[in-house]
Amino acid sequence: MASRLGRSRIPFALALAIALLIAEVVIEPSFAKPGNWPGELSVLAPFAILAMASTPSVLSGGGGIDLTVGPLSTVINCIFVAWLIPHGWNGLESVVVLLAIGAAVGFVNGMLVAVLRYQPVVATLCGFFILAGLAEKIAPNPLPLPANWTTHLAGKVGPIPGGLIMIACPLVIWWLLGRTSYLRALYAVGGDDASAYSAGIDVVKVRVLAYTLGGLFTAIGGIALTALIQTSSAATASQYALIAVAGVALGGTSFAGGRGGMFQSLLGAFCIYMIQQLLSSANVSATYQQVVYGAVLIAGVLISTRFPRGFTVRRLAT
Amino acid sequence: MGVTDTPETASPSPHPGSAEPSALAVAGVSKNFGATTALVECSFELRRGEVHAIVGENGSGKSTLVKILSGVHRPDSGTLHIGSEPVTGLASPAVAHRHGIATVFQEVLAIAARSVLENVWLGMEGLVRTPSGLAERRARVNAVLAELLAVPPNLDAPAEELSLSQRQACCIARALVRHPKILILDESTSALDADTCERVFRAVRSRAAAGMSAIFISHRMDEVTEVGDRVTVMRSGRTVAAGLSREQATSGELLRLMTGADHLADGKTRLSIAERPAGAPVLRTPGLRLREQTAPIDFELRAGELVGLAGLDGHGQDAFLWALAAGPVTVVDGGQERVVTSPWAAARRGVYFVPRERRADALFSGMNVGENFSLMTIDRDARLGLIRRASSSQRLGRFRERLGILFSSPTQPIDTLSGGNQQKIILARVLAAQPRVLLLNDPTRGIDIGAKRDLYGALGELVREGVAVVMLSTEVDEHIELMDRVLVFREHQVFCEMTRAQVTRDRLIASFFGQRVDSHG
Repeated sequence: MASRLGRSRIPFALALAIALLIAEVVIEPSFAKPGNWPGELSVLAPFAILAMASTPSVLSGGGGIDLTVGPLSTVINCIFVAWLIPHGWNGLESVVVLLAIGAAVGFVNGMLVAVLRYQPVVATLCGFFILAGLAEKIAPNPLPLPANWTTHLAGKVGPIPGGLIMIACPLVIWWLLGRTSYLRALYAVGGDDASAYSAGIDVVKVRVLAYTLGGLFTAIGGIALTALIQTSSAATASQYALIAVAGVALGGTSFAGGRGGMFQSLLGAFCIYMIQQLLSSANVSATYQQVVYGAVLIAGVLISTRFPRGFTVRRLAT
Repeated sequence: MGVTDTPETASPSPHPGSAEPSALAVAGVSKNFGATTALVECSFELRRGEVHAIVGENGSGKSTLVKILSGVHRPDSGTLHIGSEPVTGLASPAVAHRHGIATVFQEVLAIAARSVLENVWLGMEGLVRTPSGLAERRARVNAVLAELLAVPPNLDAPAEELSLSQRQACCIARALVRHPKILILDESTSALDADTCERVFRAVRSRAAAGMSAIFISHRMDEVTEVGDRVTVMRSGRTVAAGLSREQATSGELLRLMTGADHLADGKTRLSIAERPAGAPVLRTPGLRLREQTAPIDFELRAGELVGLAGLDGHGQDAFLWALAAGPVTVVDGGQERVVTSPWAAARRGVYFVPRERRADALFSGMNVGENFSLMTIDRDARLGLIRRASSSQRLGRFRERLGILFSSPTQPIDTLSGGNQQKIILARVLAAQPRVLLLNDPTRGIDIGAKRDLYGALGELVREGVAVVMLSTEVDEHIELMDRVLVFREHQVFCEMTRAQVTRDRLIASFFGQRVDSHG
């Protein structure tokens, strides 16, 4: 106990995020201007939220992963732009509809994985294709979006950047769940499902709920995406799918389940966003971006598995 | 003490019709897993406030009974009463908990990444519900842990930082913190150190005095006679003695009851492998240790010898057999000694290993019979790198006759063969490589008696030809009837070694449980 007092642990993703942020501000000082924050946050929001949406399924263990996150967010975007807006559903009711669709798709994923025992990769890969196809069907061409409530989310809502509000949504839901017994059950099931089962935890329900949560968060991500691009875009489906998973991995959440969390995924997504920023600030060709993502991911996963509990930093004893 | 062939019928309760209420009653419960029968008409009664021990050797059905009582398995037939309430079967561990039954299993079911507090409190709340106050939770967990451990761990430390004994103590605390009406300890004390074990017994006794009932399963006779108020003995899925009192349950009597008397026997095979002169040494393990702290094993295997490895599951016999296959082990070949450190190096010197899990480790289920057979000898069929299938089919034909393997053609999928014939194909694969030493891990597990006898016959032929065989077996009768000598493993050491003349059923089973029986007959 005593030996821990003078130390604190900094996860790899946090250390990397801080380093990247400093580097970016040095290269491109305008990045730090408060006036640019709302814009920057609205670009970060879809990344960050979709990485967070990928997290509960990974935490639930049993090879859990949700590849539908990318195309589902696109479907949400297309439904909103191509169906709801033309029908005059542009207020609070559209939010409810979109969240319900997201949760329903997540629920189906959960049933496939936990009840019908599909391999999560296979089940959600099927969902990936179905949803990507649906998005193309709903809005084959980009449709313009008239002024609507999401427009504000791309900028400021009162004094607060809209991107920040949307990123906060999943975190608040997660925090509220942390006040119940659910999160502990989720970590237990992900950590060792046999132990959890023998202790009387309903492993199936916990996993179904994890995928459902993922679907719900994805719907929030879809709204953030809509706010950012202000059009329908079926083409972004596959683009976000793998970046979201990369964010989870870089954040240090274990794909074996039971270790990690939403905040880590947020950090992971932030790192990916910062790498993107940094490369464009340094005038590196966009074609190299994906190469760099991959390389950083390899190094990042290696480092976070070698130091699963982060770096120990000595502080001055007070 | 002689062995009776007729199993003892359940003795009547010493207090027939007494007012002592029963906490749990099982009557006529049967359970099959596919073709395997685990429980036959099993009966068992647990009184309120007693510690009831269940004993039996491997595969006697006690673990299946426990799993039925803790909601892991559903019985095929039979009745279950908890208190006076009839229960049709417990659908899940959560349902068992609601009936007041908490079970601690042999496997240490702690979640490595989660804290001690969470591990102990695991499953106490519903799925999405505001939990009870943190302070209360901590206090209750602390109280139980302080009872079980001399130095309780920090509640916030992750379980992976704890010792095995501490982790198992957390699992026992998880059961106790629920205030169960019935506590089941299924060999869960084997992971505990001596002090914690003693504390657990004390905790169980004090709760039993307050009305809790406990079912206690252990492979240690001293624990059983120390802790159990009454003892039930199981054998081959049946209750052979129910509720023996402490006076009746001497360890000698318990051993006699656990010892079955069904004969595997095939007289001819026994005769054919009776006393033969031992050949030259072929394999040595100078000072092999299975664990850092355990006594070294100096084993020497001679040509034409048939050696059995015995013991309760998980006492080191598997590790020993694997050590013979994978090294480091000294292979003696025509006066030349060579230390071998990998399975492939061993195979080059004629040492071949057949793993226990047929489907997982030995068969290639996507391949056909011929391909499965020729895996180790395929290079002999190649001319200029091209494989001539006829050559391997010819070889397979020879073994088909010798081992009596039933299949229609070499292109038949391996999955369509019975377990016995699959095992024969695996044996044929190894025999075709002309081994000098054959290492077999429980080769007759789950195959019918006819196929077993064919395999015994083949082993008899092999040893007469001078092949040395080391065979791990979980069937006591195989040790009695086949082996030239038997090594009994206990706690990752060789507990004792018996020659063919010394092996008796009583002695062998007694030695599994760490007891030495001096005389027999």
